[in-house]
Amino acid sequence: MSAHASTAVNEEVNYLNWKTGIWSWLSSTDHKRICFLYLFSIMIFFIGGGIAALLMRTELMFAGPTIIKDPHTYNVLFTMHGVFMIFLFVVPGIPATLGNFLIPLMIGAKDVAFPRLNLFSWYLYVFGALIGAYAMLDPVDTGWTFYAPYSTTTNTSVSTMVFAAFILGFSSILTGLNFIVTIHQLRAPGLTWMRLPVFIWASYATAVIQTVATPVVGMTLLLVIAERTFGAGIFDPTKGGDPVLMEHLFWFYSHPVVYIMVLPAFGVVGEIIPVFSRKPLFGYKLVVLSSMAIAAVGFIVWAHHMFVAGISDFSAKFFSIITFLVAVPTAIKVFNWVSTMYKGSISFKTPMLYAMAFVFLFMVAGTTGIYLAMLGVDVYYHDTYFVVAHFHYTIQGGAVIGLIAALHMWFPKMTGKMYNETVSKCAFAALFIGFNLTFIPQFVLGMDGMPRRYYDYPPQYQTLHTISTIGAYLNGFGYTFALLNLLGTALWGKVKAPRNPYNSKSLEWQTASPPIHENFDEIPVVTEDPYNYGTPVPGGGH
Amino acid sequence: MLGLLGEQGSDFAYKVDFAHDIVTIISVICTVAIVGVMLYFAVIYRQRDGQDHETPKIEGNNTLEIIWTVFPTLVCIWVAWLGYDAFVDLRTPPAGAMEVNVTGRKWAWDFTYKNGKKTTGELVVPVDEPVKLVMTSKDTLHSFFVPVMRTKMDVIPGRYTHEWFRPIKTGDFQVFCTEYCGNEHSRMQTRLKVLPRAEFERWLADDSEARKLASLKPSDRGKELYVSKQCVTCHSLDGTPRVGPSWLKIFGKEGKLADGTTYKADENYIKESILYPQAKAVAGYPPMGMPSYQGQLSDDDITGLIEFMKTIDGTTKVELAPAAPKKSAASTAGMSPAQRGEALVKDSGNLCATCHSIDGSKMVGPSFKGLYGRKEKLSDGSEILVDEAYIKESIYKPQAKIVEGYGPVMPAMYEGKLTDENVADIIEYLKTLK
Repeated sequence: MSAHASTAVNEEVNYLNWKTGIWSWLSSTDHKRICFLYLFSIMIFFIGGGIAALLMRTELMFAGPTIIKDPHTYNVLFTMHGVFMIFLFVVPGIPATLGNFLIPLMIGAKDVAFPRLNLFSWYLYVFGALIGAYAMLDPVDTGWTFYAPYSTTTNTSVSTMVFAAFILGFSSILTGLNFIVTIHQLRAPGLTWMRLPVFIWASYATAVIQTVATPVVGMTLLLVIAERTFGAGIFDPTKGGDPVLMEHLFWFYSHPVVYIMVLPAFGVVGEIIPVFSRKPLFGYKLVVLSSMAIAAVGFIVWAHHMFVAGISDFSAKFFSIITFLVAVPTAIKVFNWVSTMYKGSISFKTPMLYAMAFVFLFMVAGTTGIYLAMLGVDVYYHDTYFVVAHFHYTIQGGAVIGLIAALHMWFPKMTGKMYNETVSKCAFAALFIGFNLTFIPQFVLGMDGMPRRYYDYPPQYQTLHTISTIGAYLNGFGYTFALLNLLGTALWGKVKAPRNPYNSKSLEWQTASPPIHENFDEIPVVTEDPYNYGTPVPGGGH
Repeated sequence: MLGLLGEQGSDFAYKVDFAHDIVTIISVICTVAIVGVMLYFAVIYRQRDGQDHETPKIEGNNTLEIIWTVFPTLVCIWVAWLGYDAFVDLRTPPAGAMEVNVTGRKWAWDFTYKNGKKTTGELVVPVDEPVKLVMTSKDTLHSFFVPVMRTKMDVIPGRYTHEWFRPIKTGDFQVFCTEYCGNEHSRMQTRLKVLPRAEFERWLADDSEARKLASLKPSDRGKELYVSKQCVTCHSLDGTPRVGPSWLKIFGKEGKLADGTTYKADENYIKESILYPQAKAVAGYPPMGMPSYQGQLSDDDITGLIEFMKTIDGTTKVELAPAAPKKSAASTAGMSPAQRGEALVKDSGNLCATCHSIDGSKMVGPSFKGLYGRKEKLSDGSEILVDEAYIKESIYKPQAKIVEGYGPVMPAMYEGKLTDENVADIIEYLKTLK
């Protein structure tokens, strides 16, 4: 370890340079450095999953076999795409990167409550990721859902892969636990619950879901291993088991996990819009309440993935009605974000463009979700391309756009540099147009009855598939462009970031860019709301 | 209303579509309104000259919050009810619905009727009658999706699930498997054929073929199928190569594939080649020459064919079916020439549909759609008008004038099989395919 305090001017010392060398990073318990450890590791899987997606889209560009000669390879690719993107990229996505970086800074703490546990979580992630990568040597072809009895009978390394997901689950649980304790215990003096930025609230709701729901998927995955190794007979009907049980257990985790992915993105948008509108977040209390409501209701809607899976008609009706309850808090959020812009002083920096795009994409994701909550209509749409398009609007349009928005928003704080605004706006345009061009045709394919997970399709679907593939290339180009811009300016950028380039009120902007190792010279005392913008007007608040 | 989900084939389809259209209208209005307001705010409240202007400190408005909590809740309740109402219809088969047992397996659907009739690869039902499918799976999860009927249900090993519909029109409709089930998931498609009541009854009662086949020993069954499934057209028994390799002493034979690797014709290779002919095509034969028999042959049929192959020693002979047209006069009486032609084209014994589509898509041969009256370029470079004379010649002597871009793969088997009158009917039918 080469730990030498800088002899230069004091201001030059920050968390990035106060220790140097690879080992100083791999052994660092600094939450800001752990953010970067996660960021680089998840990006590997974002790239891997993205390449798998582009290969699939290329195959689907024309009917009949084209670049992929056999269906097995295609099935492996969509499994890889799903497993990489869900378990290795989006679930740890915002919480483990931006959550790690921002939670202590936003609440005025020196670090998270358990810094060593935090580093251990990352090592668990790496361990799980390596096992997952190893499993791809004899690649799994089950889809990321691991449905039995296909997963318990297919002759690929499913056991290794689900064990990887099991380990990753522990990483997620420990991170969630750490954040819950941190937010409860380490808030700066004066930072009451109702003064917390909405990103903290969203992270808190996310952490609760991570801690409560993840053990269930861990159990389920162990049962899959038991079934494969010992023939336990839990999901195998010939031994009195039931494959539908597997679906229940799987979705009990995997529906809430959608909120693990998307709630932090809601938080990010809730931070960006007030800053660039110079207005307080409209209806702060309701925004907070709606995050908690989504987290709570999210636990009892899982079987809406199973309306045609052989569950009783009664439970289908029950889960449909509960699912509609999620629509209400989601709608409230959107109304509040848009109202925040009313009479603002709006500037269109890249984070704001992403936030506005998010509002549009999430409107599409939300309204198409309504179709899938409706029983009679979901029977038609279940497992068609409509569902594929819907959840990509939710996960990519929501969680991934949220992550990219956040990376731009807090880039000056994280790196101490400014990214290139022109390049990032061009990248945004490519990414946004490409994304819609990819998935709008897929909604139409779903309307025409095109089933998902199809290696080949009848020729009547070809035109829409071709358009979708062209969109996917543009989308992939946009992401590459955006991320290279960030990476390039982080490494070689000349423009130094000031302490508070957006003139934000929240705590993380009140310290140096980049912050020192312990974040603040002295623990700040909070005396106002995080969105205290604008001039008071009579009757303007409540 | 909007017709976004395409053709409606069942009596409850309109209800599903109505619910779908209502949500579409609400969704589009809400999205346009909210994004519109956002963009409007973005334009009129934009920062000018890079300078912040003064903003009011508005932290919320209780009245608005109540409105946009209550309003979406009410809309959701209404929409949930629409979906619920359609679902109740989808899940409630009327008493006395005709039941068909459906078995899903990797990767085909088997259908069993109450009178014992079994089919694979085609579900035949009467129009205007409720049909209830009682479904189970032999191996993994599958799902039976009939888009035109708007219904779908997972098919699960170890238990029975059901779905039902009442077809409101006759015709052939697509059925997909929509629960991922492994390698050939995307090819696990089948056909739903809706027939007029009388025709369905006739079809259901006609079990002669199945009974006869079931009573034969496997190699004889294979021999029957060799003729009835038209293997004979492309595969000789005496060593002559035709469109495909001869079956003379084929079992156990080794050779080269089109991609340069070698093959050995054992049971598994033969089965694969019957189901997925393009997977391992023998070198020297047109790769797109053979259609898949997926869904047309049962496992017992394939075993029969393999057993038959083992017996082919050069002395084996088969009797070709009599050349007379299959349709009896009674069943075609009262039909127009074009209708008779359509029946001939669609008759599986004639195999036209194997290579010629009627929807314009390119298969082994040119599509029938818009064929009549078109100018086609031939493989020798000349041009020809597709008229009565050319079509007749092409049916009787397929190799005489071949359209450019297609191989010389059509069997010369129709002379004697189809009468001049049959050909005239077919031409009348082709004229209707604009």
